[in-house]
Amino acid sequence: MKESIDKSEHPDDVPGYCYNRELFYGFDKERGFTRELSYQNQSNQVIIRQSWDALEKRLEQLQEVVISGKVSPIVYYMEKMLMELPMLSAYMGLNRLRVRWHMTPAGFRRLKPSMLERYARLFEITVEELKKPGFMNK
Amino acid sequence: MVKLDYEHRQAGHCESGVTSNLLNYYHFQISEPMVFGIGAGLFFSHLPFLKMQHAPTTSFRVWPGMVFNRSTRALGITTSNHRFRNPKDAMNRLNEVLDQGIPVGLQVGTFNLPFFPPEYRMHYNMHNMVVYGYDKETYFVSDTLMEPVVEISYEDLARVRFAKGPFAPQGKMYYPVSIPAQVDLKPAIIKGIRKTASNMIGVPFPLIGVKGIRYLSAKMRQWEKKHGPDTASYYLGQVLRMEEEVGTAGAGFRYIYGAFLNESADILNQSWLREISLEMGENANKWREFSYLGSRNCKKRGKPEQSYDFLADMLLDVADREEKVFSKLAKIK
Repeated sequence: MKESIDKSEHPDDVPGYCYNRELFYGFDKERGFTRELSYQNQSNQVIIRQSWDALEKRLEQLQEVVISGKVSPIVYYMEKMLMELPMLSAYMGLNRLRVRWHMTPAGFRRLKPSMLERYARLFEITVEELKKPGFMNK
Repeated sequence: MVKLDYEHRQAGHCESGVTSNLLNYYHFQISEPMVFGIGAGLFFSHLPFLKMQHAPTTSFRVWPGMVFNRSTRALGITTSNHRFRNPKDAMNRLNEVLDQGIPVGLQVGTFNLPFFPPEYRMHYNMHNMVVYGYDKETYFVSDTLMEPVVEISYEDLARVRFAKGPFAPQGKMYYPVSIPAQVDLKPAIIKGIRKTASNMIGVPFPLIGVKGIRYLSAKMRQWEKKHGPDTASYYLGQVLRMEEEVGTAGAGFRYIYGAFLNESADILNQSWLREISLEMGENANKWREFSYLGSRNCKKRGKPEQSYDFLADMLLDVADREEKVFSKLAKIK
């Protein structure tokens, strides 16, 4: 069994995920096909981390767009939950045009409390955080 | 309370692992690679127009559900498959089947699976797991990704069974119903191999199979020029995540397929298959090398370490290898 990954390297190389071993198949000429329980290897940890870093970057850019008043906070939280319009519409049980309207500041301002609550619950936040995301207090 | 004597075993690929484990419950022994091979699970496609999380979709396996359906059908095993309109019906039916002493395979979305590693939290709706019991509102789960067995609440289970998005599960549940007394693996293996060979070299569409690997290679060379270094790195990362991260048992299922060919050589008593399995093993190592070197272009800091031309050449190499292997496999009798 492989040991857990060495954490003494540069922070960018430190793995974020090492608490559940997975089953990996392998091959070499001496042993043939192998099966091994181990943590995700270093290079896999890097590619996992990349998608989260990319999300963080997209969210930073979206914060500016929300602050500028061009879109509503729904656009930000939708991205944060890794959703796109069709999925968000499906989860909300609303048609896409209606959700697109909610994504505009004008549409968002007119949302009833019950609808705000539904969005907040889906985004796993409070209504207050939905109406005024923390990054708008900067 | 219902808690069936179900053996939890980890697997490299959830659907193949669930199939193998469900059959094991009925004392029908079949390995995960054998399920995968008979189910003709190996595939390749690269679809730049279909984006997931802002990057093109690359797939190393066939449509979800096909491995279970094809493998059980090829083995003469009858199964039950249900989808539901609403969570209440889906959960009632689940309890009814569990009450009959039958462990149940479920297709679920992973985004709201409470026990799933947070690093994997994405809207992946093709995940498979088994529920083998319940105690009031708590369900006992065997998830082949996880080391231990786990538990999930009624509410969370209903939610993941009805996750939305591409390949939405719609409450899908499935389980074997009857297994013949005698099962002949030989014709099932041959059929499965022919199907995979056909998928990989017989489809006259440039984005699929070996052609698809070459297509990806050509596209990869243009990424930096067309989209800039950051997007090129992200697109590459997406290919590698599909290859290594989403439960492929490593190297985009190529290791597991090699293990299947190796096992098949004994069952069919055809030693040339062993040679092919070794070629597949080497091919898998090349895919692994590609992901290892490619990952060095996906780090947060520093410039890309490998040119995309170099990586694209590696893809051409594996395409050639797979073309050779599947051309030989297509002729199997």
